[in-house]
Amino acid sequence: MKQDAAVFDNVEAGYGNVRILNGLSFRVAEGEVFGVIGPNGCGKTTMLNALSGMIRPSKGMISCFGKELNRLEAYERCRLGIGRTWQIPRPFAGMSVYENTLAAAVHGAGRKNLLRDRRSGRKESDTALKALEETGLAEKKDMPSGELTLLDRKRLEVARAMASEPRLLLLDEVAAGLTEAETTQITDLVAGLKEKHYTVIWIEHNIETMMKATDRLMCMSEGRNVLTGDPAEVMASETVERLYLGADDE
Amino acid sequence: MMPAGDRTKKGLIVTGVLFMVLFVIGITGIGGSNVLRYGFRILLYITIGEMWNLLSGYAGLTSLGQQAFIGLSGYALAVATTKYGLFYPLGIVAGLVISLGAAFVLSFLLLRIEGMYFSITTWVVAEALGTLFMSLMYVNRGAGMTVSAEPYPRIGTLYLMALVLCFASMITMILLPGSEFGLGVRAMRDDVQAAESLGVNVKRSRRIIYLVAAGFTALAGSLFFLNKGTIYPESGFDIGWTISMVFIVIIGGSGTVAGPVAGAVIYVFLSEILAHYPGWSNMILGAIAILMILFCPQGVIPAIGAAVRNSAKRRRKGSDGCRELDY
Ligand SMILES: Nc1ncnc2c1ncn2[C@@H]1O[C@H](COP(=O)(O)OP(=O)(O)O)[C@@H](O)[C@H]1O
Ligand SMILES: [Mg+2]
Repeated sequence: MKQDAAVFDNVEAGYGNVRILNGLSFRVAEGEVFGVIGPNGCGKTTMLNALSGMIRPSKGMISCFGKELNRLEAYERCRLGIGRTWQIPRPFAGMSVYENTLAAAVHGAGRKNLLRDRRSGRKESDTALKALEETGLAEKKDMPSGELTLLDRKRLEVARAMASEPRLLLLDEVAAGLTEAETTQITDLVAGLKEKHYTVIWIEHNIETMMKATDRLMCMSEGRNVLTGDPAEVMASETVERLYLGADDE
Repeated sequence: MMPAGDRTKKGLIVTGVLFMVLFVIGITGIGGSNVLRYGFRILLYITIGEMWNLLSGYAGLTSLGQQAFIGLSGYALAVATTKYGLFYPLGIVAGLVISLGAAFVLSFLLLRIEGMYFSITTWVVAEALGTLFMSLMYVNRGAGMTVSAEPYPRIGTLYLMALVLCFASMITMILLPGSEFGLGVRAMRDDVQAAESLGVNVKRSRRIIYLVAAGFTALAGSLFFLNKGTIYPESGFDIGWTISMVFIVIIGGSGTVAGPVAGAVIYVFLSEILAHYPGWSNMILGAIAILMILFCPQGVIPAIGAAVRNSAKRRRKGSDGCRELDY
């Protein structure tokens, strides 16, 4: 039987006294591309924050690859194999593009293998450069990351997360604001990750992208899981349609 | 952007040459004892400036209480040599050990606190230590203590010790950015949460930096009071130490190794002049620092670097160059 890559069990979490996640529950199987949709402000990014350790749940349980996360610090979760991107890109602006991915390669989940494989000649620079090649940033590797365009910043988000060598990759609207061709690049990238048995949780507003690229889709509203299932079924449901036609401002 | 490896190499070569020159000056005594006396002070101020830059510029730990370690190590030296009759190098080691121990214990309290509250707490801790020493009979309360050594080290010896300490601190700062640890530290300097989410152990990195800074600052404190020969609570735990560190880093420029070097040279000569106006000196230093923040916020060294790069670029391309703030 396949292990669960991520489990949320009745999770309540938020910022300060404001509760955003209200008993959120769902499971993501290993090797799955799991899409997440929902109106703005429904708590999708907050869910990633809870998973990656930026905030802690006040109730409920989050686990990843069979390990309970609640007590783990953010960096420990990364080393367990969770790699995330940020909706609004957050490059290390004082560092070059290459150094951004290098930092992730050196400190992330690949660290253990790296320390082991060093004797056989594998280098962190290989990991960092590979991530840049896969995201089309190889030629800009020596640029200060603060000078990248928005598209390239988004690419760097993905490259950096991948350089940390995660088993579970969290993508937060990496295709938002991109052209169709650019979006296809990202979709292809994710398809390639799936081949390599990565698990992906992918938040995106673009319905078409989500229908094409995901195995299952979860629709969230007000911090809860409204409906999860086959992407086509979820999109066809009346509840989801109402949420999108009613509350959404996009 | 110049790759970190090239920058490291360049930095090490320049620093190595500078060290040799200053070492020869120390060994031969060329220029006389005044050169050595000023050199000694400048080298110590470079050391504590580099370390404050490490704390504040790299780790985001804007401490206003590094004088805690200067006072502790100065007193350790005095107690070890006067009360226990130990050879002074052992007193320096004692000061280092005690300061590192204190820093380790304090780190559990201080590193839980963020931002301005961290700064204020570090200052309160240093003040509290000063008050404690003021009331401890063991260290003669406010009457202070003397450092004894037989024979007492001459200025040439002190200068060479300060030279080694200073260059050790500079080499630490040169090697930091390109190292694995340094990559994590630079990442967390730019964005703490993003760094954590990529596996950087921010707490551990901050603790290591806090300890390294405490250690170097303590050694500088020992040498300072070894030269001075006497220590009082108000001189050991003086907030003036922090003022000098902040001044040196602001004037020279934070985030560079050369910045605190320029800052320390300017500071030592300026404070020499200002010594004629007691009471005013801190106020004048403060005013200069504020003017600097307003009109040249990146500091002397990066400003000169940018100007040189810009004029070179204009000559090449006739365009205005980018403002790159590296070395
Ligand atoms: N750092 C924060 N502090 C306080 N409130 C926040 C913070 N981040 C998000 N929120 C609030 O939490 C709610 C959910 O936000 P978010 O999870 O980003 O939604 P989504 O990603 O689904 O658009 C919003 O109402 C938002 O204003
Ligand atoms: Mg969001």
